[in-house]
Amino acid sequence: MKEVEFLVIGGGPAGMCAAIEAAGRGAKVLIVDDKHKLGGQLVKQTHSFFGSREHYAGVRGIDIADTLIEALDENGVEVLTGATATAIYDDGTVTVATDDEWIKIRPQRIVAATGAFENALPFPNGDLPGVYGAGAVQTLMNVDGVKPGKRVLMVGAGNIGLIVAYQLRQAGIDVAAIVEATGRVGGYYVHASKVRRMGIPILLNHTVKHVWGEKEVEGAVVVKLDEKFQTIPGTAREFAVDTICLAVGLTPLSELLWNAGCEMRYVAELGGYVAVHDENLRTSREDIFVAGDASGIEEASSAMIEGRIVGLNAARSLSRIKIEEADYEERMAYLREQLRQLRRGPFGEMARTGKAILAGDTPGEEPPIEVPPVEFEPLFDKGCRVVIECEQNIPCNPCEDICPRGAITVGGDIVNYPKIDPEKCNACGLCLTCCPGLALFMIDVDYSDTQVEISLPYELLPLPEKGMEVDAMDREGGVVCRAKVSRVMSSPKFDRTSIVSLVVDREYGERVRHFRIDAEPDGATAAKSPQAEYDDGDTVICVCEDITRRQIEEVIDAGAESFDEIKRQLRTGMGPCQGKTCQRLIIRMLADKLGRPVESFAPQTARGPMKPLNLDLLSRVEREEKR
Amino acid sequence: MNRIHQHPILKFERGREVKFTFDGREMTGYEGETIAAALTANGVRDFRESIKLQHPRGFFCAIGRCANCSMVVDGVPNTKVCVIPLKGNMKIERQHGRGAVRERS
Repeated sequence: MKEVEFLVIGGGPAGMCAAIEAAGRGAKVLIVDDKHKLGGQLVKQTHSFFGSREHYAGVRGIDIADTLIEALDENGVEVLTGATATAIYDDGTVTVATDDEWIKIRPQRIVAATGAFENALPFPNGDLPGVYGAGAVQTLMNVDGVKPGKRVLMVGAGNIGLIVAYQLRQAGIDVAAIVEATGRVGGYYVHASKVRRMGIPILLNHTVKHVWGEKEVEGAVVVKLDEKFQTIPGTAREFAVDTICLAVGLTPLSELLWNAGCEMRYVAELGGYVAVHDENLRTSREDIFVAGDASGIEEASSAMIEGRIVGLNAARSLSRIKIEEADYEERMAYLREQLRQLRRGPFGEMARTGKAILAGDTPGEEPPIEVPPVEFEPLFDKGCRVVIECEQNIPCNPCEDICPRGAITVGGDIVNYPKIDPEKCNACGLCLTCCPGLALFMIDVDYSDTQVEISLPYELLPLPEKGMEVDAMDREGGVVCRAKVSRVMSSPKFDRTSIVSLVVDREYGERVRHFRIDAEPDGATAAKSPQAEYDDGDTVICVCEDITRRQIEEVIDAGAESFDEIKRQLRTGMGPCQGKTCQRLIIRMLADKLGRPVESFAPQTARGPMKPLNLDLLSRVEREEKR
Repeated sequence: MNRIHQHPILKFERGREVKFTFDGREMTGYEGETIAAALTANGVRDFRESIKLQHPRGFFCAIGRCANCSMVVDGVPNTKVCVIPLKGNMKIERQHGRGAVRERS
């Protein structure tokens, strides 16, 4: 039995921050993660973070991961990778499995920072190789440097779908389109603008009807939906793609918390079932905390602050650790304020509402926010300066922070829209490269009598050369005119974002926001689905046990009213994924067919081990313990 | 090979180049990358045959949760290749069905 004061389960942003904070207060901390490298999703985030300096704003996720890993080391946190926490028992014992070891740990405090699992989207042939979760695509291309396919259809226009579409292009992979079932882009518009100006269409009110392929994905049929999410006949379009990337939401990974007996509640705004927790993220079990996506789906910036809160409170609750009351109060006030700022504005509403529901409250009144202008600034008359095309109230202020002349003002409330003082801006370009949304541009209207120079942030390869002629593109990715590259600037200060300047006729100055070196060979080849329709009844819902939609519907029609009843008859959820893929889908089918809310259907009982284990591993422990 | 050679932001630190086999075909990959990545780089996406419908399957989650990538690695079935690092001379096979119990050696 291994004794630790604080066990952190999950080495993503929340878990690492919890470990660092607690260890910094003197606690003996062990962090376990099932991957072979710490960092969670951060290790594949090539984009810069939003927020303010305290939230690592303007820093790329990959670099934040390295900073946190260093901090773990500096604070003496013990790290165990390739180690899955398989159960939390009533007596407080946690079992952890590595490839060749079965470890029993007795911690005084635990935090479940287990993250989330990607939602599946069922459609005919959706189980073919080439249908990947967005996180999987990111891992493959950004961690291993392998292309997931040649041409991708992205499903979902939330932040993940938009960011991964952009990253696919950074890796030199073609993105045919982004389809989004609802009528609006759910992610930040600045992320949407980045992909739109590259010429990737975002098809709102569209979804995948089916994919086809012999041994792997060869194409997809996309249809338009009406406001009730029903297919509009005659709208089918075929796309020749070899990869479907699903970015249709996340579900908190909370089976360990179920297993530990924590009180759980379904909160749609938080992504599913989460452990009921207080504002210090303590669950109904005194020794267990929760943080990050496991406590409700949010951005990684919030996860890091939640981790800090947990680390501080876990340390404070240990009898051996003494933290001065004033010190504690001051730190907590600071952390709460950080969280409040990150949850400000329209994008924080889900988290604000979700967390309030969880606490049994209604969300508090928010101070009003000045809404950004709908129209972009028209071309100005003289000089050279920055223009800001930040379209929403995103909690973010690196542009204000980095400007050496104080020309950009966001103000104390980081959800405010940044404003530029034309008199102070000297067009140094620093803000262009630090804006996580790449939403700042620089225009020199005095370039010549007839021409203007537009400088834009550029994160693609190859870089153009000075003097080169390129296609200048507008915000929708349409070619506007030819342009001459007047400058290409790269600098360590720009952190891998370059600034490319284009010279265009004055009349195009308002429109040009991107360029391409060559017309890319259109990856679209003629695609023909071998069948116009596939029977959706054949769609595989439980991929482990090969159970189709039709089989599940038949069992519900015959009277099954719970996930467990369906499971007993069909083995759904009994395969090696333990229901992680199908449970959510089946409960939704039950809800739809029986006309009851999703939360009225109990999920299956979570019992350890939470991942299939090699029996040899267990038998070895048995032998060793007898010895 | 489906490798990303140039990236505007990332530098890939790849391990030693090693050989492995997939269903008897010799392939190369980098030590330490996941088996799933090495296979995908070699153009292999069909990792197993599902247990009842015999559908081809590849990986889905790449975090070792969905088990869609279960393959036979050095004779051990149900190995989640999306999280297991590649080593030289590994013998990787497409898995058919649930996999068979090995004889104790």
